[in-house]
Amino acid sequence: MKKVTCSLLLLLFLYGSSALGQESAETLVTESAAFLKIFFKNRFDVQVAIVRFENDSELTDTAMQKLYQLLISNLENEKNIRISDLLINFANGRGEFNLGRVDDLHYLLDLKLIQNKSKTGLGLTIFSRLQDKIVSIKYFEKALSKGEMDFLNAKNFAFSELGFSKLLEFESKRNLMDIQSISGSDGREQYFFYYPDEIVIYLASNMRLEKDSQFKLGWTRPVYPPLHYEGKLLLLQTNQGLVLTAGNNFSSYAKVLAFHDSQWQEIQKIDFVPFKYLILNQIPYLVGASYGEGRNYFKDKIYFMPFSDPANRSGIYEKKAAPAMALDFSVQDGQLQAFHLIDRNYNYHLFSAEFEEQFSTPEKKGASLAALGGEWLAISDYSRASDQLFFYNIQNGGQRPTYSEKITGEIQFISAGVWQNIKGFWTGVRQERDGQERFMVQFWGKRDG
Amino acid sequence: MDKSKLLFIPLALTLIFAIKPYYGGELTIRLNEPTSFTLNTANYSNLIFYSLIYENFFYLKKNGEIFSNVFQEYRYDVSGKTLSLTIKDNLSFSNGKPLTARNIQVSLKIFMNSDLFAASKLSKTVKNIRVNENQVRIELLADNPDILSLLTAPELVVLAENEQSFSGMFFPQVWEKNHHLILNANPFYAGGRTYLDKVKITFNDSTPPDIFLANPNQFKENFQEFDSGIFQNIYLCFLQSDMGQNTKIALFTILKRFNEATGNKYKELRTLTSDEESPVSIKIKTMSPQKTASILKHSETKLYILASLSNLEKDLAAFLKNSNLNIETLFIDDSQLMAFLNSAAIQYLLIDKIFQKKVPAEEKISRILKESSFNQFNARYLRMLSELDEVKFSNSQELLMEQIARISEAIVNDGIIFPLFQKNYSLYIRKVWPAMEIDYYGRPLLQKVSKNND
Repeated sequence: MKKVTCSLLLLLFLYGSSALGQESAETLVTESAAFLKIFFKNRFDVQVAIVRFENDSELTDTAMQKLYQLLISNLENEKNIRISDLLINFANGRGEFNLGRVDDLHYLLDLKLIQNKSKTGLGLTIFSRLQDKIVSIKYFEKALSKGEMDFLNAKNFAFSELGFSKLLEFESKRNLMDIQSISGSDGREQYFFYYPDEIVIYLASNMRLEKDSQFKLGWTRPVYPPLHYEGKLLLLQTNQGLVLTAGNNFSSYAKVLAFHDSQWQEIQKIDFVPFKYLILNQIPYLVGASYGEGRNYFKDKIYFMPFSDPANRSGIYEKKAAPAMALDFSVQDGQLQAFHLIDRNYNYHLFSAEFEEQFSTPEKKGASLAALGGEWLAISDYSRASDQLFFYNIQNGGQRPTYSEKITGEIQFISAGVWQNIKGFWTGVRQERDGQERFMVQFWGKRDG
Repeated sequence: MDKSKLLFIPLALTLIFAIKPYYGGELTIRLNEPTSFTLNTANYSNLIFYSLIYENFFYLKKNGEIFSNVFQEYRYDVSGKTLSLTIKDNLSFSNGKPLTARNIQVSLKIFMNSDLFAASKLSKTVKNIRVNENQVRIELLADNPDILSLLTAPELVVLAENEQSFSGMFFPQVWEKNHHLILNANPFYAGGRTYLDKVKITFNDSTPPDIFLANPNQFKENFQEFDSGIFQNIYLCFLQSDMGQNTKIALFTILKRFNEATGNKYKELRTLTSDEESPVSIKIKTMSPQKTASILKHSETKLYILASLSNLEKDLAAFLKNSNLNIETLFIDDSQLMAFLNSAAIQYLLIDKIFQKKVPAEEKISRILKESSFNQFNARYLRMLSELDEVKFSNSQELLMEQIARISEAIVNDGIIFPLFQKNYSLYIRKVWPAMEIDYYGRPLLQKVSKNND
């Protein structure tokens, strides 16, 4: 009993110290943010970005990312400030920024965190790009306790205002491969659940999904039976109405179906699995790759098929990539922003829109992934022991961890989606308990949208 | 299996495996060289080899669970006494040719016409086999809820019309005689493509194998040992009724001496099944070397040996040469044997049979009598088998043992089979393959085996 009491006290103490730590760190950042808000007060639509961030304290790179994120989210709430998040990564005590878009900015911010014997300070320099000179220098100082340092250095990105949380969970039939949604003519969201042999359509109704209809896909030989079903669904609103593409790892072709006369009709077969609709040089393309027959990975080519006319399949061109367990494109304003890939050794790779590799993770980390527009990337862990979902901020072409969550079970797929007007990610999770297998569908989103 | 091994498997499953398992890689199995790709499950080595290229209708796991990769549904209708097997959609053989319900029907009929005990048991039960689109309906003569277990026989496999089509998880790609055989993953495998790309079957020790068969309790260091429960019995059979007893015993003596001369690789067998379970012990007195030599010296003896024992070929030839005996050894495939049976060509035949320890003694003795008496099977034996069936239902262990003893004595006294040797096998699997399971028949199940999961 004594031991239990001690543990409880210890827990209470740790909780108290952590909460205090967060408060002090926030004060340092909010003071800096407050100064910037006052500085830009009389300016309208001012475009600002942090372009340099250096660390001369004992805080880790992880802690620095948290501070950075906190400052950005503070400034994002200001109507007259348009803050661009250019941070790609924070490593070895300094931030790595995407400086390709600096010409669009009005002010550049330089931050430096330093530490003396008792206090930690943040130096802030504002550079006006139009005036081509430093217009302000400010230094803020706070005493950061040991507990506060430890808290910031902990590998946890759970700042409440940034966090993704599980907004929905329900059980599904086994072997669900993908979920996509589109707004119907009545404004209600239609959800398409892609199973190996059929597609089931649900309609959102309050906090539930109501089954609307379903149709069989009727695959024909050659069929390559897989141990693990994988597939991608894509929904497109074209001039000729709603078009759907469905490809997978067991059929040698993907189906293109159009909704005519109140039913889905096959209008075309294509030789790869489409998973994105992109506009490149003002030409719409279906982009995709081919799975290894019956296997769980994509082969090493990315296909681009012009798609102005759904029935036309000419003009396909291909680009060489690495074989991938998962891949996706992040798209901003309809334009290709970056290309994300998990290779067959479970390492993540980030490629530019020009297919040039930006960086890769040295450790095994990843199995499935999906990009949400050009803002967020979700990646699942590779290990079966304890799966995790990692959320990365990918705005401006970077890839920065912001949040992670332990998952019970194994994530089978991740798809970007919408639930109750909140953008986020669908995950298909296989769970096993007492020898019984269940397939759970979860939706992860930010409550603030 | 000791406790540490039991712990190792679930730990490996939970700690090492990736959510997306790695596809690729090769595994090496050391087995005896097959004579052809025609199904022949006479010995343990063959049982494993042919399980890689032919798909069974049903598999029987060690825990008694029955499963199928070919059928999406199987249902037994008691009132109609019919088992309905619904084949999965869009299945193909390894060359892409459709695998249909018709193939299932033909394969089942081929099996039922074979000279196997399991086949005759099934034949006695089945009235008719009909095909309706993707469904095979097996109509029974009488209600038999146990029908599914009769379909788990390892010899009941899905056969194609074309010899170069295979239904199993792998198909033969390259065969370098006397050296190795490469099997490639079958992209159309009904159970789902294997993680492995290839399996290399070696016939010698040139490549260190990942899986091999050997005597129990060896190779503790780097291998997991599976007590497969499989043992192999070797019998000397006499296929003509007018053969002299002296010659039979002389040949029996020579083979016993061969085993001694080659380091007693096989255990002496004094019963028809196994010494532990048999109610009778058979003692056949061997002859002196001089008497053996004098009997066999002037006769031209042709000893036919089943191809499944081809691993004895080299040593036996050397032994007979040193003994200065005029005994010619001829290795013969199962399929050839059936063609020769009605001629007088074969007098002496060395055969092997494999058994699973768990199988009841009465089933083993029935199998020996049915499968090893060849052309000497007669009405008396048939009556004895029927009596054995009756006794089985009497629930009297004493009567059962008595009947087994009667059959054993009859077979040996009639001089049609002499038991020679027995060998127990363990299956050894290198520890880098932790997820491997073996089925009831001691065959490794390679479908979900993946190496690079760390």
